[in-house]
Formats: sequence, C-alpha cells, structure tokens
Amino acid sequence: MVNFRNAAAAYKSLNGLICVYKPPCVPIKQVQHTIKTNLCRDLNELPDRPREQRVEIVGATNEPMTVKLVPNYADDPLVCGPRYIHEDIRCSWATHLGLFSSGVLLLGINEGTKLTYLINTSRLTRAYKIQGQFGKATDTYFWNGKTVERAAYGHVTREKIDAVVAHMQAAHQKAMYELSGLHMESQATYEMASEGLIRPANSKLPVIYGIKCVHFESPNFTLEVQAVNEYDKYLWTLVHDLGMQLRTSAHCTGVQCIRQGKFDLDVALLRKHWQLEHIVDNMDRCRRILEEHQNLMKPESARLSM
Amino acid sequence: MNTLRALALRGNSKLFIQRAYATTKKKISVETDEDLPIFQYPVSKSSDRRVYVWGLAETGALGIHLPRGKRGKKAYKNSFTLAWHPMRSSFAERFDVTQIASGYGFTVAAIKTNEQHKVFGTGINTDSQIGYHSPRIGHPLEILLSPAPIYVPYKSLESKIVGLSAGRAHTVILTDNEGAYTLGNNAYGQCGRKINPNEEYKGSMATHNIKRLGKETITDVCCGQDHTMFITESGKVYACGWGADGQTGLGTYENQGIPAPVKGDITSEKIVKVASTVDCVLALNDKGELFGWGNSEYGQVPMATKQQQVNMSYALVNFTKGLGKIKDIASGGSFCLIVNEHGDAFVWGYGLLGLGPNVQHTAKPTLIPPPLFGRNEFNPECTVEKVSCGVGHLAAITNNGDLYMWGRNRHGCLGLGHSKDQLFPLRVAIGAHVLKAVCSVDHTIALCKPFT
Repeated sequence: MVNFRNAAAAYKSLNGLICVYKPPCVPIKQVQHTIKTNLCRDLNELPDRPREQRVEIVGATNEPMTVKLVPNYADDPLVCGPRYIHEDIRCSWATHLGLFSSGVLLLGINEGTKLTYLINTSRLTRAYKIQGQFGKATDTYFWNGKTVERAAYGHVTREKIDAVVAHMQAAHQKAMYELSGLHMESQATYEMASEGLIRPANSKLPVIYGIKCVHFESPNFTLEVQAVNEYDKYLWTLVHDLGMQLRTSAHCTGVQCIRQGKFDLDVALLRKHWQLEHIVDNMDRCRRILEEHQNLMKPESARLSM
Repeated sequence: MNTLRALALRGNSKLFIQRAYATTKKKISVETDEDLPIFQYPVSKSSDRRVYVWGLAETGALGIHLPRGKRGKKAYKNSFTLAWHPMRSSFAERFDVTQIASGYGFTVAAIKTNEQHKVFGTGINTDSQIGYHSPRIGHPLEILLSPAPIYVPYKSLESKIVGLSAGRAHTVILTDNEGAYTLGNNAYGQCGRKINPNEEYKGSMATHNIKRLGKETITDVCCGQDHTMFITESGKVYACGWGADGQTGLGTYENQGIPAPVKGDITSEKIVKVASTVDCVLALNDKGELFGWGNSEYGQVPMATKQQQVNMSYALVNFTKGLGKIKDIASGGSFCLIVNEHGDAFVWGYGLLGLGPNVQHTAKPTLIPPPLFGRNEFNPECTVEKVSCGVGHLAAITNNGDLYMWGRNRHGCLGLGHSKDQLFPLRVAIGAHVLKAVCSVDHTIALCKPFT
C-alpha cells in the first residue's frame, strides 16, 4: 500500500487501467460515478498543496510602498470548492457489462482511457458464469421478465445438457471463420485455422469459443461461456435456446463475468475497496499484467489472444 | 361483417352482448404466473433416429422432390435441383431407419419392421439397383423421386437387416440369418453371381442370395464402385466384381463372379472393417492394423516397386508406424483417411486432402491439424471418432457428434451452403448428434440421433 505525501502526487499517479468487480443491478455509469466520487474524496483528504499567496502592494503611491504576501482567498477550498472534482478524473470502460450482469470490469482512469480503447479493439475473450433455471420462460429471457410459458423439465439430464452445449459451441466454429474476415481459400487462412482460434474482425456479432455446463442440480444449472463481442441479452438468449433444444423452457437467473483476457476475479476490486490506495495498488497490478502479456493490447495477427 | 352485426343488433339488440373493447394480443398478467399450465414438450426415445440429406436432388437420391415453402411458389419447385444445406428427410420421420447406404445417385435405407418391405430405395434405378418399380406394366421406372419399397424374397419376415451397402449400380442387403441379397448391375460380377454378358439390367427383377461364404455367415458388406466385399464371422474377406485395378484382391486383374477369399497378408487376420468407395480398398483388423489393395495410382497402397495396381492385400503396418492403433478407415477416389486411437485424423493420396491449398499430394499419412476439428484450449477433449469418404469429398465425425466435411463440393454435397470447394474441414450445420455419414458422388446422407 502506498502512502502519498500530498494529493498532487497521488493525482499524477492515477493514470492507467483498473479492474473492478461490478455488482449486479448497478449500471456502469454509477460504478464510474462512485469511483470518481471516492477518488475525489480521498484526494481531497490528503494533505493539500500550500495555498496560493496573493501579493499585495499597499501604501500611498507617493511614499515607499510595502509589499505583503497575504492569503489568497480565491484559492481557499471554502471559496472555490474542493481541489478535485469529477471533471478532473476521466474514466471509461473497456467493454460494456449490462445492468444485471456482475463481475470483472476494466476501467481506464485519466490516461488509461487510451488503454481501454486498445483493449476494446483487441477483442479479448471474456469468460462468464451464467446461471439458469429450467421450467419457465420469460419475455425478457431474464428472471425479472414476465412468465410466458411453463414447461416440464424432468427429462433433462447432465448428459443431454453437455451434448447440446457442445453442439452449440461447435456451431460457432464456422461463424468464427466467417467473422474473421479471412479469405477461405488462402493458405494464410488455413495456417491460421490449424493453429487454433481466430479473432473476429469487427465487434458486430458475438462468437462463442467455449461453453460447458459446470453445475447442474435440477432445475438450476450453471454454464461457463468464453466469448467475444457478446452482450448480456445475447447470453440470456443462449440460456433460452438451450431450454428450447432440451425440449423445455429456461430463463437466465444471473450473469457473472469471471475473466476478461488475463484479468480474472482475483484482480477485481470489490466495491468496499474502491478507495484511492486500493485503486492505485490495483492499477499497478494491472500494469504488470499488461507488461507480461504484450500481445493483449496490440495483437499482431488475427489469432485469438486469450 | 360489421353491417351484418349492425343489422342483427338493430333487430334484437338484447340478445347480443356487444364488446366494448378492441381485440388485441392476449396479455398475461404477473399474477397468473402460477396459474399457467405446465407444458410437456414431446421428448424423443433413445432409439429415435433422424436422417439428414443434402447435395444433388435432381436424381431423386435425396428422396425429396416436393416443393418447399408456400404452394404458390412454382418457380422454386422447378429450380429445386440442389439441397445446399442438410435437410431432414421426412421418410425417416415415418419409419425407424436403422441402416443407410448410398450409391451413385441413389440411396437405400433399411427400417425396423417385421413386414415384407424392410428396405426402401430412391434415386437412379437404371440397373434395377433399387428394385423393380413399374406403375405401368412393361415400363419400369428408371428414376424414383421418393423412397419406394424394394421387394426382396426374404425367407422369414422376422429377419433383420444388419448391413447395407451400395456401389455404382448395385445394392447389397445383409440380413442377420439369411445371408446377403444383391440386386442391380452384374456386368462385372459385383452381385456375386455368374456374369452373363447379354443380361438386361433395366427392369430386371433378379435378386441373388448369398447365404454363406466358406460355411460361415456374413457379418458385414462393403461395396466399391463395381466390386463387393464380404466379411465373415471369423474375419475373412471375400470379394467379387470388377478387378481391373486389383480391387478384388484375388491375385488377378480379372472380373470375378462368385465371391472368393481375398489373397495376401489378410488371410491370417481377423478383419473387422473394409472400406472402399471407388477402386482402392483399405481393411482394418481387430488389432488396429491397416491393410490395403486395389488402385494405387496416387500412392494409396504404397508398394516397393512403382506398381499402380495392387491385386493382393498387403499389410501397411510399416507405412502407418507411429500412428498407434487405428480406429476407423475410409478410402476415397484418390485418397485415404484414417483415425487413430488418440482421435487424430490422417490423410494421404492426391486431391483436396484438407491440408490447405498448397498441399495436393502427400505420400505419407499426414495429420490434419486437430484445431480444425474444434480441439483448442477451451475444448481439449475434442477427438475425431469416425471417418468416411466420397469420391472427392471427405467427412469426419467427432466425439460430440459434429460432422466436419471438406474436399470437392460437387453439386453442394458438402452441405456448406455454396458450391465452392472446401480446403480444410468445416462443420456442417446439423442439429443432431451425427452417428454415421455416408458420402456418395454428389450427395451425402447423415444418420443422426436427436439430443433430447
């Protein structure tokens, strides 16, 4: 943990990427707002820089005048407001996480906003844990929607889920080649494909690289999904599709992002730690991760970089 | 309608209760959540099978000739020559299909039944390879557009069909205790009976029964282009038919009418599988070792000398050294494809082998990169289990029941939605667990199991 001598030094070090744990039902906007507020609060609590002095030259003009240094009240926090306000801190997210999703969220602070752009364009995979429940379908595909159908689910077994889920994943294998923007008949494509996974060329359509069922206790189940370009609604529809393929109905009860690129839940900062010291600490950790894996941000080929 | 109602209302308005609100979509309120009925979707049995077909439909080999879509679209009906994507065969919905086989432009399927009609056929019937069908007496059909039952004189209606195979213009039906029945063209002796040069095959009603071979029951059959191989109980292989490239493996290049045991290295082995599509034959014994004979123009059965026709079986143990035990084999027009116990697919020969645009020919078994079959860091357990070959295209089935196809895309037989050749394995969009894929010249059939 770093101890800052003054606020200015702390502010200067606030440039980089942080990884926070977004709670569910809190929009990203609010996460950003809370972090900004907390940073401002902590910065303002640190020892302030010496207040500016005002030079006052007093006395009659036909006599020798005296030069005085008097406190400048225009620089007083009580007059001009706190030293650090929201506008001083820029904060941007790398990839969006929906309102009801929780989990790893990468945020760029000040100069780090450039990093978030790079991370967004390098299309890191994200891993999710998706909780679902059989027996009920809702109009939004999420638990808080209106129930539109109820169906029996006694016939669903772990083996059937595994088979359907593997099939859904394999269906994305072809989509992967199509969205990579590579020419299907070239040697380069063949070499790329035979090495492994390929990154999509744009951010338009979701690609799923892996799905597996990690927990099943009828009627609840948990899927682990590795994907690129996905969004919360898409993941909900995935659960709905799984339900349909298994001849029942299903809805999603929760989405948790457990990994983005090399940033996993261990790195993610909990809400109670959204404070200056922890944030600066986390920024260091993230910087080290980025240095270890240079290709995370500027991938040289169309190969998928985790 | 409104005027009618107005008239009626004017007459005796008390009888009619007028609705004061608009009829909109039925709304479900939150409170009725518990009142909703619990719907039971139909769930399939574990024995249920589905059949998907794709490729050239003009020959009728797909058994689909009806227009899809709305009744008014006549133009579509006329232009339905190809099925670009796998289509579910409605024939398999009505019957429990157990075996499928496809020849050149025709398809045969066996169903589970205790009645006379156990095998159905559709497609080209120029040599009566799918039986005698004549709506008008004396005018047998040369093409069938939808599946029709094949008449075979079974001795007992209880016998089951355990094997089915088809060549260029002949079909072999294997029953569990009556031996094999052959029908179709016998110009080279591929039906396992004496060759009669003057025989007329069009409109022929002939079926030939091969009860036993060497006093043993037949357990499996395999048809090449114009030859047939039988495997008996003890793992012996018998062959008959065209032998110009040595594909009968009888030590000669003559045509063979009566099935005779294949000579060479396999005589002392227990053979479990024989694979042949055109004129190169691969055989697999119970220890997972490979044998081969027949055409070797592209080095499919490599010999010490530059021999292009191998008329006796040779062990390919040295050739496949280091690959481990072989699990499945397939032989195409100019290439061979095998899978070993680790689930890796190896290919050799000439053509679009699935090794990219730069590789046209390999003399040694070459590994097709497993990532192409979906093995990657997220799915490390993905392995190839079964393979099959058409004349110019190849197919592999993974342990998850996904079908991957590549090669020449003649008439869209790869089912990828276009007619461009595919240079590396690509997954075919089938919504079921694929159990078996049968490739022909210009169409493909897949026998599948539904997930639920």
